[in-house]
Amino acid sequence: MHKVWAVIRREFVERVRTRAFILSTLLFPLFMGAMVVLPGYLMSRSTGTRTIAFVDATSDDLGLRMVTALQAARIGKGEAARPRYAVTHLRAPNRSMAVRDSLLPMTGKSRRVEGGLDGILVVTDSTVTGGKAAYYGVNVASFDDMRDLEQTIRPMVIAQRLQGLGVDFAEVMKSVQGIDLRTMKVADGKLTNESGAATFILAYAMGFLLYFSLLIFGNQVMNSIVEEKNNRIVEVLASSLTPFQMMLGKVVGVGSVALLQIGIWAGTATFLTTNQAKIMSMLGAGGSGGLPMALPSMKLELLIVFLLFFSLGFLLFAAAYAAVGAMANTVQDAGQMQMPVMMFVLAGFFSVFALIRDPNGTAAQVLSYVPMMTPFVIPMRYSISPLPMTELLGSIAVTIVGMLAIVWLAARIYRVGILSYGKKATLRDMVRWIRTA
Amino acid sequence: MNGSVVKVERVTKRYSGHTAVDGLSLDVPAGGIFGLLGPNGAGKSTTIRMIMNIITPDEGKIAVFGRESASRDMSDKIGFLPEERGLYKKMKVVDQLTFLAEAKGIHRAVARKKAVTWLERLGLTDWTMKKVEDLSKGMQQKVQFIGTLLHDPDLIILDEPFSGLDPVNSQVMKDVVVEVARQGRTVLFSTHIMEQAERMCDRIVIIARGQKLVDGTLSEIKREFGGRHVALTFTRNADRAARVLADRTLVAKADDSGATAEAELAPGGDPERLLRTLIQEDVGLSRFEVVEPSLHSIFIAKVGTEAATAPAKELVHA
Repeated sequence: MHKVWAVIRREFVERVRTRAFILSTLLFPLFMGAMVVLPGYLMSRSTGTRTIAFVDATSDDLGLRMVTALQAARIGKGEAARPRYAVTHLRAPNRSMAVRDSLLPMTGKSRRVEGGLDGILVVTDSTVTGGKAAYYGVNVASFDDMRDLEQTIRPMVIAQRLQGLGVDFAEVMKSVQGIDLRTMKVADGKLTNESGAATFILAYAMGFLLYFSLLIFGNQVMNSIVEEKNNRIVEVLASSLTPFQMMLGKVVGVGSVALLQIGIWAGTATFLTTNQAKIMSMLGAGGSGGLPMALPSMKLELLIVFLLFFSLGFLLFAAAYAAVGAMANTVQDAGQMQMPVMMFVLAGFFSVFALIRDPNGTAAQVLSYVPMMTPFVIPMRYSISPLPMTELLGSIAVTIVGMLAIVWLAARIYRVGILSYGKKATLRDMVRWIRTA
Repeated sequence: MNGSVVKVERVTKRYSGHTAVDGLSLDVPAGGIFGLLGPNGAGKSTTIRMIMNIITPDEGKIAVFGRESASRDMSDKIGFLPEERGLYKKMKVVDQLTFLAEAKGIHRAVARKKAVTWLERLGLTDWTMKKVEDLSKGMQQKVQFIGTLLHDPDLIILDEPFSGLDPVNSQVMKDVVVEVARQGRTVLFSTHIMEQAERMCDRIVIIARGQKLVDGTLSEIKREFGGRHVALTFTRNADRAARVLADRTLVAKADDSGATAEAELAPGGDPERLLRTLIQEDVGLSRFEVVEPSLHSIFIAKVGTEAATAPAKELVHA
């Protein structure tokens, strides 16, 4: 056991010390931080109050009502709210174009010149009849700006038309209001606070973490074994350690690196999203914007189930990757030979998407007893609704048995493969190794 | 510790196409230095790898410390320097050595202390915290050599330990090997450099084409090989000397290196007559000594032309 520890520590320390590890560990939180802060920050910058001239060529009070609406529009909510528009109301019946032309020189100079404008909105009588209004500005390419402007003046036009038909605008608005379907998860016969989207994201994220770790760290296990074979360290190791000790140490060592990195990432993500408002205000960017949705919270029991299946799954697949590495002579060989293992990883990952629609259906129940699949399927199912204890324990048992079987098989392949160089191992070789080892 | 530490009995290993080791038996007694000699491709490395249980023999039995699976079960008592050196390139020298010793069951702190002591002894102190890849080949070899000794093994197996080393480093390593053997431990090493083996080994086995040709202590081997040998050094007229040495009534066999030669006298040949003839021929004789045959000449005589024709098998490991 002492020896296995030595191998685990070596694998862990040497990997964590590498520049690649440090960089990738730090870059992700930076990226996350940017995701949390930047959108809100950018929005608070770009959506300052727009200074517009309202050229009113209407013959009634439509223009006046629009100006009132524009002046009432606000950016943000509560205390921090600022007016969205600074409007100058210019009555110009019959000569709207001439007024517009006289204002053009000032357009685009709102921040530099007193009396400068961001844009000119021209409204005429035909706005009601033909639905036409014109905006001349420097921010016409901003979809958000144009949408806001349109939405602010549209109700006035509609109201005007309805009034002409003798219908009360407020009554119409009430009757066309849609319904807002709020989704809330019921788990274990109790109401939870999770929305449908959050549930999906959580189930998906757990599958993705395992998938991602297997691709990255499974490959690391494989490639480092090929490397040890190539520079013949393996002969020295084999004179000190049993193949099983070598393989176990490597898989657990690399697995701990994976857990550490994911732990750091998950920790940063949780910290950033829960403290988003504070961070934003510290940066003086106000409380608006940010991620489209908060990270779903994870219950302790789900976390335990996830970590258990993550570990079992990692051991199972990493052992398979180790066997592939032991069979190969070059990294290129290994890349080709890992296909069968890859297929299972992919199948597991995509089963999450397929089964999430019917997490308690027959397919999901069957796959809960397939060792290669359980690490993906069970956390997903558990996150949607806790499994019955018997099913969960059954699945854990099957996974452990399957994991041990694969580790045993992989260790036998590893034992022979690790010390044979030269020719590429064939399927027949592999069967022979398993039998003779 | 009496009896044999390594016992190889009628071991055969075949690879597709050729037999690397052919019915070989070895008996390495406890204590002292045991030399496994042979030309390139003789099967030295294959034999050592079978002793280390890295590959399994097709036929025959191998016992280490009297047990068949000992090279795995008792690996902590064995130090092994493989023919193809291998270290973790990115690891620091001292970490590397600590790990190698830990893998032999030595406690971490103890291992580190020992590593530092050994590095100092082999003049590598300045390189303690350097990465292995920053070291020269020779230095890496010394580091790995330390790795084989760090856990004070009872049996040390070295596959071509001196190849690629300069004379100074070679001497340093030789001194260590001799000292270790003097402590009552057993050293088994393979080489094709005869002078080295002759200076160090208590017992020698010469193999060629996977078969044993010579086995015994150095003095036994020389006595058995027999013949009266004369070591000669000339300073001029080498061509005339060569003619004298070609005289089969005087000389049975000669290993003529130009300025020096080792001659085996013909049966009934008289060393004084050889001396007289050489003086007559005016070859500027500066050395004339009746000697025991050198291991080199025994090796050449035994392995003979086989060495020249042996294919480069050792490169082919399936």
